[in-house]
Amino acid sequence: MKLPINLPQYLEVYRVQFKNNFVREAVYRTNFLTSVLTDAVWFAIEISLFTVLYSHVNTLAGWTQEQVYFFLGIFFASDALFTVCFQRNFWNFSDLVNKGELDTLLTKPIHPLFLALSRSINLTAGFNLIFGLAIAAKFSKAAGFAGGFHWLEVGVWLLVGVITALLLRFTFSIWVFWTERSWALSRMYYQFFAFATKPDPIYPKVIRYLILTALPFAFIGSVPARALLHGLTQEEYLSLGAVLITFTLLNKFLWNKGLKRYQSASS
Amino acid sequence: MTLQWRLAALKNGLLDATAYRVEFLFEILGSAFVPAAIQWVLWYALFKIGGATEIAGMGYLDMVHYTLMSLLFSQVRGGDHDFELQEMIRSGQLSNYLLRPVGVVEFVYIRGVAPRLFIATVCLILGMGVSASLGLNPLRMLGAMLMALIGNIIHYQIGAALATTAFLWEEAYSILMVKNMVVNLLSGELIPLNLFPESMQWIWKSTPFYLYVYGPTQYALGRWSDIEFLYQLGIAVLWMLGAWALIRITWGLGIKRYLSLGG
Repeated sequence: MKLPINLPQYLEVYRVQFKNNFVREAVYRTNFLTSVLTDAVWFAIEISLFTVLYSHVNTLAGWTQEQVYFFLGIFFASDALFTVCFQRNFWNFSDLVNKGELDTLLTKPIHPLFLALSRSINLTAGFNLIFGLAIAAKFSKAAGFAGGFHWLEVGVWLLVGVITALLLRFTFSIWVFWTERSWALSRMYYQFFAFATKPDPIYPKVIRYLILTALPFAFIGSVPARALLHGLTQEEYLSLGAVLITFTLLNKFLWNKGLKRYQSASS
Repeated sequence: MTLQWRLAALKNGLLDATAYRVEFLFEILGSAFVPAAIQWVLWYALFKIGGATEIAGMGYLDMVHYTLMSLLFSQVRGGDHDFELQEMIRSGQLSNYLLRPVGVVEFVYIRGVAPRLFIATVCLILGMGVSASLGLNPLRMLGAMLMALIGNIIHYQIGAALATTAFLWEEAYSILMVKNMVVNLLSGELIPLNLFPESMQWIWKSTPFYLYVYGPTQYALGRWSDIEFLYQLGIAVLWMLGAWALIRITWGLGIKRYLSLGG
């Protein structure tokens, strides 16, 4: 069976991008330290918030303190993986359109979106992936995670988290083809991202429904953690698949529409 | 004459921020309603789902009132113009400003604070309306907003001092990000600070960040007496003077290392 894309070519391009990014990050060592520090503080603040809340109650919407820490570990790991692969590319996404940098990518014999989203790889964030997994591992037993071979499922669920973040971030960024700047929408993504930092059962019905469907931020960390701890129902699996497919199709549609609007530099 | 450039910078800052009106509106909406929704969700989980009746002396309604009021002061405390300073140092753009007869730290602040002053005015009017509807003294909003504005100055001053680390390293972006994240929790924007357990109260009391959101909210909601408010306002002024001295020292030292090609 022949693949619709030339996979070895794409892998080779990614290998070269990876190498270039590794060389660049090896030069800026201070950047590595400050990046690790920033994320460590963010982790500490999220953990502190729940520590303060759990100093007053034993459970939060049925979640014990250890289960919430396990969720945070999975969430941090999922977010770190997204940061490694895609985050910097989205910061530059607006310039691609506004400054006409997309021109260069459109002339290459490879999908322009692949190039646009794989140019910058933040290898230093890999440290945070380990940190997140370490937190999940520390609280896994107390949280009721089965462990053993079930750790293999963690990889699958982290992938679900990263795909969700990628699709959502893209949906928030693609409007740059229609607006002059997408800075505020990008910022809004991070405002909504706050919904991903809490387990979804704590939300009231309407918000919970939204973050499981129209704005599926719960798929980044909460649903994966819930799946690992308690498992999901068949309906939830179906809903997860349907939402991700819908977002993929929507993004494809918007990308094609956006390209038609694109008028090279300063479009 | 000196007032003239300050007014021009203020006008320039407001025009710059509102040039992209839709973006400006999105930013305000995003930074106001999402954090408020997150706060409300926590109270919902604790009180409605968890069945708690009182936490740290506050009931569900007290928490909702806190959320509503803190939402207004959260809009005033922000501003990312300290990031602009570190970028100037890093890229060497600072040289252009050193040649001008204006203080660069003050110039960047005035230009950056313009949209905040506009938002503060809107929040003050809204706050007075909310106070009246909750049976609180609307005049307290004036004092509370004054404290929030002093908080805005302190926030920038600390950022401006931290931005000078860009004279030493390649950039100060991460340090400023860390500062903002710490402020996020310790300003009372996420939760009322009296929820901190007794053993952890010293953490927020030893920083000026509580004067940005938690302090003004407590006063506006009538949970601080006038005496307590004046005492805290005095502390805010002391922090402001201390931070001013810190800027003088850090910028004095930093400029000596500046190479004009980037820090």
